[in-house]
Amino acid sequence: MNAPRVVHAVPAASCDDPFHCITCSDEGVPMRVLSLDGDGAIARCEGESGVESEVLVGLIEHLQVGEVVVVHAGTALARMQT
Amino acid sequence: MKFVDEFRNAELGERVSAEIAALVEPGRHYKIMEVCGGHTHTIYRYGIDDLLPANVELVHGPGCPVCVIPMGRVDDGIAIAREPKVTLTCFGDMMRVPGGNGSFLDAKAAGADIRMVYSPLDALRIARENPDRDVVFFAIGFETTAPSTALTLMRAKAEGVKNFFVMCNHVTIVPPLRALLDSPDLRLDGFLGPGHVCTVVGGRPFEFISTEYRKPVVISGFEPLDMLQSIHMVLKQLDDGRCEIENQYTRVVPYDGNVQALRILSQVFQIRPHFEWRGLGFISQSALALGPAYRAFDAEARYAVPGVRVADPKACQCGEVLKGVIKPWECKVFGTACTPEHPIGTCMVSSEGACAAYYNFGRIARERAVV
Repeated sequence: MNAPRVVHAVPAASCDDPFHCITCSDEGVPMRVLSLDGDGAIARCEGESGVESEVLVGLIEHLQVGEVVVVHAGTALARMQT
Repeated sequence: MKFVDEFRNAELGERVSAEIAALVEPGRHYKIMEVCGGHTHTIYRYGIDDLLPANVELVHGPGCPVCVIPMGRVDDGIAIAREPKVTLTCFGDMMRVPGGNGSFLDAKAAGADIRMVYSPLDALRIARENPDRDVVFFAIGFETTAPSTALTLMRAKAEGVKNFFVMCNHVTIVPPLRALLDSPDLRLDGFLGPGHVCTVVGGRPFEFISTEYRKPVVISGFEPLDMLQSIHMVLKQLDDGRCEIENQYTRVVPYDGNVQALRILSQVFQIRPHFEWRGLGFISQSALALGPAYRAFDAEARYAVPGVRVADPKACQCGEVLKGVIKPWECKVFGTACTPEHPIGTCMVSSEGACAAYYNFGRIARERAVV
């Protein structure tokens, strides 16, 4: 049996490319905390490419601006040990 | 970025690859399952397979959250989306998953209001901005994603949002792993544990693999060097005659997981008695439903759904692929009738699906060499 011949260009990973969905895969994206809201539930975070987004951070205790968190589906799941 | 680039260093990768080659016994065939779809994606994106000796085989596990959604659940979601004044929201990969009568994308083309979101919080925002519509989030994912849904539901409750609902399809990874380990079809030597699931649940839920089934488990990160090191750690355990659970991904995974996340999961969800997994059938206590405190947000309680079990197309062999019994390209319809543009099976939909990973990145050289 011959394996089918299929070769495609390797795309960059992003939310918008059809080859990679960072939300429903189990991907965790390292993001640096830029600022925290008043009750510490939401943070403004910056990712690898400089893209900023709003992240739920209620699962990380005593989070500080400047720390790096692992973000999945808009929620910080863990603090990156540095 | 720090914490990313250094784990993609090619020179270090080649060094670990050489250490792996020196460790394996010639003539012995090693089968290691990567549980998580994110790992499958890394393997093919970075060509990890090509850095391993021919007698080390990576077997793809059931950890792609899109791939395990049965067709009947897609049909149920479409039925809700067709209700008057309903907006259905879901992650991007769900849009193309085929149900018994088409996908979310097909239903959207036919007039249903179905929108892609990047997080459950986005769905809640849509609900706030559209108070005259019911906004339903079609929740999928393992323990990694469930906390995001839980936190969003807690916010919705605290804010008194009355038009936000969740159709819950969250699943748990341990029951299908146990089912796989009990399967006579499959002989595995070790496991790469799902690093991001473990950020939530920790390592303890996977201890049974080493204590009861006597197989090594290494909780692995997702960068290429993480995976190579984890494979080396599994092989080293086999070489030493050990079977333990080890944590390669210590920079992110505490062995006890995220206690706060586990607490809110128990507040928001309850375990379903059983749930159908695509290709694996019904598995007891393998999925989550909204618990009593969040019943008012349960889309399945608000809307009548068909709840019909839809058999997979006969040509589709996703079940065997999900169990690691066959390689994606051994499926009869791989790359011909079933492609990412027109998937028949779920494994071809998500980039984390084994079939799509093979198809998109063309990592079939080894198989071609041996046929």
